[in-house]
Amino acid sequence: MQQRFLDPNVLAGISSLDLLAKTVVDGFVAGLHRSPDFGFSQEFAEYRAYVPGDDLRHVDWNLFARTERCYLKRYRGETNAQLTILLDASNSMNYTSGPPAKMDYARYLAASLFYLAIHNQRDAAGLIVFDQAVRDYIRPSTRPGQLARLFAGLERAEPQARTEFSEPFKHFQNLLHRRGIVIVISDFYEQPETIVSHCAPLRFRGNEVVLFHILDPEEVCPVLRGSALLVDLETDRRLEVIPEYTKTTYRAKIDAHIEQLRSRARGAGMDYQLLLTSHPLDAALRGYLSLRQAGN
Amino acid sequence: MGFLAPWFLAGLVALGVPIFVHLLRRHQATPRPVSSLMFFERGSQSSTRHRRLRYLLLLALRCSLVFLVVLAFANPFLRRATADANSRLLLIVLDNSFSMRAGKRFADAKTLALAALSARPHAQKAQIMSLGGQVDVRTQATSDDAQLRAALQSVQPGDGHANFGELGQAIRTLAETVHGPVELRLVSDMQRTAMPANFADAALPRNVELVLQPVVNAASPNWTIENVDAPASLSDPKDPKQSRVRAVVAGFSTPAATKNVSLLINGKTLATRKVDVPGDGRAAVEFAPLDVAYGFNRCEVRIEGGDAFPADDARVFVVRRSDPERVLFVHAPTDTRSAVYFGSALSAASHGSFVLQSVADEQATDLDPSKYAFVVLSDTGTLPAIFEHALEEYVVKGGSVLIALGTSAAHQSRIPLWGSDVKDAHDYARAGGAAAVGEMDFSYPAVEQAQPGADKGGWVDIKFFYAAVLEPGQARVAARLADGTPVLLDKQLGEGHVVLLASGLENLTNDLPLHPVFVAFVDRTARYLSGNERVSGAKLVDSFVQLRSTAEPVGAVSTIEVTDPDGHRPLTLSDARSIQSFRLERAGFYQIRFANGRDAVIAVNPDRRESDLEPLPKDVQSLWSGGSGGGPTHATAAGSVELKNHPISLWWYVMLLVLVSALAETALASGYLGTQREEV
Repeated sequence: MQQRFLDPNVLAGISSLDLLAKTVVDGFVAGLHRSPDFGFSQEFAEYRAYVPGDDLRHVDWNLFARTERCYLKRYRGETNAQLTILLDASNSMNYTSGPPAKMDYARYLAASLFYLAIHNQRDAAGLIVFDQAVRDYIRPSTRPGQLARLFAGLERAEPQARTEFSEPFKHFQNLLHRRGIVIVISDFYEQPETIVSHCAPLRFRGNEVVLFHILDPEEVCPVLRGSALLVDLETDRRLEVIPEYTKTTYRAKIDAHIEQLRSRARGAGMDYQLLLTSHPLDAALRGYLSLRQAGN
Repeated sequence: MGFLAPWFLAGLVALGVPIFVHLLRRHQATPRPVSSLMFFERGSQSSTRHRRLRYLLLLALRCSLVFLVVLAFANPFLRRATADANSRLLLIVLDNSFSMRAGKRFADAKTLALAALSARPHAQKAQIMSLGGQVDVRTQATSDDAQLRAALQSVQPGDGHANFGELGQAIRTLAETVHGPVELRLVSDMQRTAMPANFADAALPRNVELVLQPVVNAASPNWTIENVDAPASLSDPKDPKQSRVRAVVAGFSTPAATKNVSLLINGKTLATRKVDVPGDGRAAVEFAPLDVAYGFNRCEVRIEGGDAFPADDARVFVVRRSDPERVLFVHAPTDTRSAVYFGSALSAASHGSFVLQSVADEQATDLDPSKYAFVVLSDTGTLPAIFEHALEEYVVKGGSVLIALGTSAAHQSRIPLWGSDVKDAHDYARAGGAAAVGEMDFSYPAVEQAQPGADKGGWVDIKFFYAAVLEPGQARVAARLADGTPVLLDKQLGEGHVVLLASGLENLTNDLPLHPVFVAFVDRTARYLSGNERVSGAKLVDSFVQLRSTAEPVGAVSTIEVTDPDGHRPLTLSDARSIQSFRLERAGFYQIRFANGRDAVIAVNPDRRESDLEPLPKDVQSLWSGGSGGGPTHATAAGSVELKNHPISLWWYVMLLVLVSALAETALASGYLGTQREEV
């Protein structure tokens, strides 16, 4: 089972990079991730003037003795991050113009991230599979066997039904009690403002949200030999389309959609990454991680 | 429009193949799944419709290709009546035989022929012929209405006997020059007797379509004088054996009736007899004695009481009353038997018409041969030179001589008048046997017989013990012995004839005089040599009479006069000086003055087969008209004109369309494939 997802070639590419969370969420385990909360770690962060209500235990009495001013001494604390992957398992993820399918590609991506987080970073990792509703939920944990459970959850995530962001994301807010990294893997066939509007609450609660946009190359540049009858995998609606349309109007529309989604996500403080199934998985992760490092 | 092989139309089921393929491609197009139709639009329907339209065009081309191939196998054809009518020759044959004089037959026939002429398209060529005693071509093929109508109007009823066999022969000859389709319209009373005994004689070429237009559908009762037996020449009117006329009255499709039959001589009724004619039968009536004046008497036997065909109620004949003619019989002094045998036979045969004058050859010096009907040289030796010269002139002017070569003549080696010598002599008696007749020409007048049996009319029993051998040269050989020796020869000499018997007339060189056939031989020979055979008795319409011999003497110019029954002279001056034979076209009495000065009156009667008015059975008519061109029977009594449609095959045109469709389909399909490659 693990051999399927943990492709050595993929992991070899990812192991040279550290998965660094941009912001530190709750946690106490020292690691590479810096917590946004100032705690009891040994690394000094800054001084801050005392304001009524502050804990007196954090007052630097030595400095008060020298300057008769009351300052609080703050330290940069190290903590374990909580990675939660929201995997879209709707029917549209089943589309493929050639292996791998978008769903498989998403599984590889999620598995790689889980392995990286749990095995290397000792982070807690969880999985939420959704389509119209939340179909599967594996609570983030660092317990032994978590990785196997996550992989099993990925195996169970067979595409079905259609994508609906509103209901599942309401549940996410109830399920995600701690701040952390939330990665949404989907093909995002929805209006960009709708997607961002539903993802924004996660961001508001202090989560680092990353949108992985999985698309097949044929979806970006479809090739039609003559007029074709297209069938929507989710709604089963049929439409006859001619090649001239896909060459011009469709490409413009999908490009506009991607660009709009990218801009709106970044506008909302979320990261966005377009991943084509034809591109190597390690290259995609590497590019993302590089992007995160550059962002720090 | 029709199909020569309509069962191939079952192949039209194959039309379902392109239709099925095109519909299958449209309905079984594999739907292509996509993640979402969010960014797709049905925004190019017009283009799709255009493409569908092009596919429909391809479908139509493929369907038309299959349809045309099936059509080519079915071999369609068009029936183009109008175009064919212009290209085919309308040949109108109007029957003007003697039977068309009955009732209104000829008038009706002419009306039908004119109607057929009017009904034809103006551009169609037509030709007019008449069918009487012979087939007369009245016009050449032309589209000139006036000329054709004038030709039809000029046709008058004749006295000849129509023969569909002669018509078939004429049409077969015509078809050798006219290779296009010919529509033959025969307007006739369709007499049964006009059809030849051999149906194949009336068969027409395949490009001739026969359309029969009979003017009558049923036989009419008709009485006629079928036959008259009367002496051609009469020397003694009181001779009860000769001076009598026997006539046979015949009825065709008639009930039993009593008829008055009259004998008219030179326009005066001499006697009238009543005769009971049985239904559809015959009865004989006899008139005796025959009291006629000297010279030629124009006689007529007429049946009284009208019927549908009054023109055939009379039959004419000529009786010539004259004193007996003398026959000069020159013989060798030692030959006494031959004159006895010949004289006895002559008197028995001619009933006193000839008187034999027998002289020895050495006593013939002062005799004038022109005073004799003919001369017989029986086994003569050397003739007196004066007599021989007179005999030569006599023959040249039209006299005739019978030469019999006995044993003594053979020793002379030279044959008087004959022009050649005796080469040898066969003495069969010395060889201990006799020779029989091996070949006989029964068309020769002296031995003429209509139907000789296996015994050759009795000649095969005659034994020849002796026969002279001579070179026939240009002479006509009428009889040969079994070993090929010519025994009876005829040579034309000027206007006359020299008949040579290579044996004697007595019973020493042969036993001919002992056989009954000798009397018949002498009778026919006497009539032939005297010239009575040519002009005696009655002749039928369209028979010929020989006016002069083919060998015209050098420098001798003789004129012949012919007067027809209407009193006209049908011969032009040039014809009168050169014509050799004359066709007797009309019924009645012809008066002829021959080149040798002899006069003759010839009675000409229509063929009695014309009196039988029974038409051809319908099935025979259908067989004739239907078998000529493979088409349907067109025997119609009315004048309706029904043109037969000729099929014109459209195979080549269909194959041309197949080629065009195949090229168009290939071009269109290639265009589609090219478009798809471009899209890839």
